[in-house]
Amino acid sequence: MKDKIIHFSINRAKQVYWLIALVTFSLTAFIPLIQIDTDPENMLPNDQPDRVFHNSVKEEFRLHDMIVVGVVNENSIYNPESLKAIDQLTQYILTIEGVIQPDLMSLSVVDNITQVDRGTIRFDWLMKNPPESKEKALQIKSDVKRLPLLLDTLVSNDDKAASIYVPIQDKDESYRISQEINSYLQTINSQDAFHITGLPVAEDTFGFEMFVQMGISAPMAAAMIFILMFLFFRNLTFVIAPMIVAMATVLATMGLLIAFGFTVHIMSSMIAIFLMPIAVVDSVHIMSEFADRYKPGLEVKKVIEEVVGHLFRPMLFTSITSTVGFLSLSLTPIPPVQIFGAFVGFGILLAFIWTILFMPAYISRMSEKQLLALQTQIHKHESADTRLSRTLKRLGRFSVGFSKSIVLLFIGVVIVSWYGIQKIEINDNPVRWFKEEHRIRVADKVLNEHFAGTYNAFLVLSMKDPESQKSQLTQILKEQITNLSESKEKDELVEKLSSDVSIQELVIDIDNALFEANAADQKIYENLLLLIEKYQSNINYFTQPETLEYVESLQEHLMQTGLIGKVNSLTDLIKTVNRQLYSGQAIDFRLPDSQNGIAQALIQFQSSHRPQDLWHLVTPDYQKTVLWLQLTSGDNQAMNQVMTEVDQFIEQKPLPEQMEFRWAGKTYINVVWQEAMVSGMLDSLIGAFIVVLVMMIILFRSISFGVLAMLPLSITITFIYGVIGWIGKDYDMPIAVLSALTLGLSVDFAIHFIERARALFDQTGDFKQMIGLMFDEPGRAISRNAIVIAVGFTPLLLAPLVPYITVGVFLATIMAASALVTLLMLPAAMNLLKAFIFKP
Amino acid sequence: MKYFDSKILKPVQRLFKVVVIGLSLLGWSFAIAEPKDVSEIIEKANLASYYAGADGRTDARMKIVDSQDRAQYRQFVIVRKDNSDGGEQQYLVVFSRPADVRDTVFLVHKKPTSDDDRWLYLPGLDLVKRISAGDKRTSFVGSHFFYEDVSGRSPQLDKHELVKEDNDYFYLKHFPKQPETVEFSFYESKISKSTYLPMRVTYFDTNKQPLRTMEVNEVETVEGYPTVTESKITDHKLNGYTIMQFRFMNYDLSIPESVFTERSLRNPPEEWLKRTNQ
Repeated sequence: MKDKIIHFSINRAKQVYWLIALVTFSLTAFIPLIQIDTDPENMLPNDQPDRVFHNSVKEEFRLHDMIVVGVVNENSIYNPESLKAIDQLTQYILTIEGVIQPDLMSLSVVDNITQVDRGTIRFDWLMKNPPESKEKALQIKSDVKRLPLLLDTLVSNDDKAASIYVPIQDKDESYRISQEINSYLQTINSQDAFHITGLPVAEDTFGFEMFVQMGISAPMAAAMIFILMFLFFRNLTFVIAPMIVAMATVLATMGLLIAFGFTVHIMSSMIAIFLMPIAVVDSVHIMSEFADRYKPGLEVKKVIEEVVGHLFRPMLFTSITSTVGFLSLSLTPIPPVQIFGAFVGFGILLAFIWTILFMPAYISRMSEKQLLALQTQIHKHESADTRLSRTLKRLGRFSVGFSKSIVLLFIGVVIVSWYGIQKIEINDNPVRWFKEEHRIRVADKVLNEHFAGTYNAFLVLSMKDPESQKSQLTQILKEQITNLSESKEKDELVEKLSSDVSIQELVIDIDNALFEANAADQKIYENLLLLIEKYQSNINYFTQPETLEYVESLQEHLMQTGLIGKVNSLTDLIKTVNRQLYSGQAIDFRLPDSQNGIAQALIQFQSSHRPQDLWHLVTPDYQKTVLWLQLTSGDNQAMNQVMTEVDQFIEQKPLPEQMEFRWAGKTYINVVWQEAMVSGMLDSLIGAFIVVLVMMIILFRSISFGVLAMLPLSITITFIYGVIGWIGKDYDMPIAVLSALTLGLSVDFAIHFIERARALFDQTGDFKQMIGLMFDEPGRAISRNAIVIAVGFTPLLLAPLVPYITVGVFLATIMAASALVTLLMLPAAMNLLKAFIFKP
Repeated sequence: MKYFDSKILKPVQRLFKVVVIGLSLLGWSFAIAEPKDVSEIIEKANLASYYAGADGRTDARMKIVDSQDRAQYRQFVIVRKDNSDGGEQQYLVVFSRPADVRDTVFLVHKKPTSDDDRWLYLPGLDLVKRISAGDKRTSFVGSHFFYEDVSGRSPQLDKHELVKEDNDYFYLKHFPKQPETVEFSFYESKISKSTYLPMRVTYFDTNKQPLRTMEVNEVETVEGYPTVTESKITDHKLNGYTIMQFRFMNYDLSIPESVFTERSLRNPPEEWLKRTNQ
C-alpha cells in the first residue's frame, strides 16, 4: 500500500499538487466566517447544570453583565469636582444605546432614605444634582456611610474611589460602549483617574488580542521555522516544501473548524501555532535522510522511494501517537479543549498525508542542478560545522559509558519531580490571562485595592418544594368549596382549582364572590381566604423572621472569615429601612420581629425611585434570595475557600428544614470548569498513555521495546509537572493541556530512535557499532526536529496574553527535555538491557 | 406670451384657488380651536380626574407585572374629601391585601400650591411616621404608578400646549417648568372631549424616547360622574406594567373631616372602608 502511495506521488506529481491546492483553497474559503468566542462560561457545555442554573439566576434576579467604570481620587472623591464628573459621566452613559437604564448604579441615580427629624422619614435621590460646596459633598459621604448596600460598592470605604456599574443588554456591545465612555472621558475636565473594566470588557479585549496573536505569532512561528530549516539545509527550494505542507495543513484545519461552525476560542486560536512545527517534522525527517543518501549520479526517484519507504512506518506511528495524544483531550468535559484536541489531531494526520504525497513529488521534480547545489551546500556545512554532530557523538559515548549513573540520575529526577507534583496548586483566573501591566489588570488591581471586590459569587438560598404546599392548599380548598350553595361563582372556582391557577388571582375571585354571596356562603368564602392567607404567609418564605435570622447569621459568619470583601443581602436592605423607620440609630439596624413588619418595611423600600432593585436580592414570590458576595480575588482557590466555609457553617448550624442552597456567579463557574478540567485531564492522560503503550507494543512487536518507548515521555511529563510544582506555577488551563501534548510529541523521538536502532542492529549485528551509527544521522534528525519545534514555539513568548506565553515556554522546555531524555536515557537503558533485547 | 396664458397660467390659477380655499378652511378649523383656552382644558381635565364629587370612596386593586411576567397584587380603599374644587384635598388610603401589609394606612393632605402633608402607619412595626414631602415621583408601593400619578400632578408645575384636536380628543404637550425636579423632559396627553378625562399620557426622556405610558382602559359613569374604572401604566424602560382597577365607588357621601386626621391611622374608619350596594 505504502509503495502504491509513494509511486503515485512520484509519478503523478501534478495530480498531487492539484489535490492539495483544491482541498486547501476550498477549506480556506471558510476562514472569513470566523467567529471569536471569549466567554469563559463556554468552558462548560451549554447544558451543564451549574451553567444552566447560573444563567437562570442571572435572569431571575436581573443580574446583567456589567461594565464597571472606576473613578479614583487620591484624597477623597467626596469633593464637588469629582462628584460633578461622576454625575456628568452618569448622565452621558444613560444616553448610550444598549445600556439598561433602570439598573444602572451610580451615586447620581440611587436612592437615599433619611430621617429629616425624629418621626419624619424622607425618600430622596442620593445625589439628584452634584453638590456645589465641600459641605454638601461631605453630606453625601455621611449618607453613603449609612447605606450598607452602597458603601464599598459605589464608593470605597477609604473614600478614594467611586464606581459606576453599567448594565448592558448585549455582551458583544461592550467594546463599543466602553469606547464611547472612553471618548467621553477625554472631554471631561477632571483630575481623577478613570478605569474601565468589568468582565464583558475583559472578554472583548481578550478576543481582540487573540486576533493579534493569531495574526502575528503564527506567521512569526512560520518565519522562525523557515529560517531554522534554511540553516539546516541551506537551500531555498528545498526548504519551501515543508513550509507548503505546514501552510496547507494549518489553513485546511482552521478552515474545516470554521466550516463546521465552531467558534474560535482561546484554545482553538492556538491550533495554528501548534500545527505549524508539528507539520514540518515529518518533512524534516525525509529531507534529512534524503540529503544524507543522495549522491550525484543516483536516480532521484529511487533514493526518495527508499527514504520514504523506510520512514513510512515510524512517521505513520509518530503521527498516530501524536494524534492519540491530542484526541485524548476529547475525554475532558470542556468543549473548547475537546475541539482543540480533535482538530489538532486531525491536522497532524493531514500533515502526514500531505507529507507522504507532496514531499516525494516535490523532491523528485527538483532539477539536477538544484539537487547538486543542495548536496554541495549541505556537505560543505556539515563538514565545516559539525558541532551538532560532534556533540551528538560525545553524547552517544557518554550514554553508553555511564549507563548506570544515567539511569540512577533519572530515577532521582523522577523522585524529586514526584515531590514537586504533590505541591501543584490548581488555580486559574481569566483576568490573569492578561499581562500584569495590561490596562485591564491595572484597573482590576486598583479597584480591588479600594473596593470590597469586583469578583462576584452568588449564594442562592431557596425554599424547598413550594409546589407541594400549593397542591395541599388546592386540595383543602376543593373540599371546602363543596359546602357552598350552587352558583355561577362556585362553578367557576371549582373549574379554576382544577387548572393551574395563580393563588393570588383566586383571592380576587373569592373576594368578588364574597360581595354578592348570602350570609352562609360568606362565612365559607371568608374561611377560604383565611386558609389562603395562612398558606401565603408560609410560602413568602424569605419574609419570615426565623428564615431571615438564619440568612443573617450565615452572612455574619462569612464576613468574619475575612475571605469576603462584602455581602449584599436582603437582610441588610430590610435592616436599613427598619433603622430609618425607627430612630435612625445603629441600635435599630435590625430585622423586625414579625413577618408583617418585614413585609411592611419592604413595601416602604418599594416606595422609592428604584423599587426594582429589591428583585436583585429576592424574587417577587419571596421563595428565593441571593447573597451577593464580592470577592477581591477571582482565583478559584479563593472561591473554594469560601465554599468550604459555607459547608462548615452549615454543618455546625444546619439549614432550616425548608431551605436549600446552591452556588452561582462567574467566579463559581470558573471553579466548576477548572475542577472538571483537572479530573478530565487525568482521564485523558491515562487513556492516551494506555493507547500509546499498546500501539508501541504492536509497532515494535515487543513488550520490552514498547515499555522502553514510554520511558522518555513518562520521565519528561513527571519532570515538567515536577518543575511546575517546585516553582509554584499555578496549574491552569494551558498547563493542563500540556500533558497530552508532551505525551504525543515526546514519544515521537523514542519511536524514531528505537525503530532506527533496531534496523541498524539488524544490519550490523553489533551493539557498539549500532550506537555509533545512531548518533550520526538518526541522532541529527531527532535533534533537528527538537530544535525546530522548540524554536518554532518561541514567538509565543511575545504574545500579549499570558496563556500563550505559558504554552510557549513549557513547550520549548518539553521538546528540549524529551529530546535529551531520549538521547540519554534510551541508549543507557538499552545498554543495560542489551543482553535481553538485542539478540543477534 | 399667448402660449403662456393659455397653457400654463390656467392650471396655475386653478391650483392657486384650491390652495386659498384649503388654507381658509384650515384657518376656520383653527378658529374653532382657538377660543378653547389650553388652561381651561387643563383645569377641566384636572377636575374630572381628581375632583369628581365633593367627596368619595372607592375600592382599588393593582396588579403589578414585571418584565418576567411575575405579578404582585395590592388591594386598598381610597377615601377622599375635597376642600375646594381644584384646591386642597384629603386622602386616606387603607391597605387590605396582601394580608401581611393589611391596615397599612396613608393619610395625605394635598396642597396644590405647597408641599403635601403625608403620614404613614405601619401596623406590623406599630409605627406612625410623617413622610417628608421630598420627591413625589417615587413608586407608589412598588407599582409603576408614581405617588404623583395617584394624587395628581398640579397643573401649575407645567407649561401646556394644545398640539391638535379631532372630533373626540384634544392632544396636548406639556413641559415642566422646573425640569431638574422631574425625570421626564416632556409629556403628551390625549384628553377626551366628552369627559375631559386624559385617556392616554406618555412621558418622554431627553432623547424623546418614551419612559412611561398611562392608558385608560375603561370608563363608567357612576352617579353622574365619568369615572375611570381601569387604567394601565407601562414602564418602557423596565418593560413592566401595572393595571389599576377601581370598583364600588360612591360619591358625595358627606364624609366628615375627622376621618382625615392622624387618629384614623391606627383606627381606620370602618364605615367608609366597607363596600355598599347603594
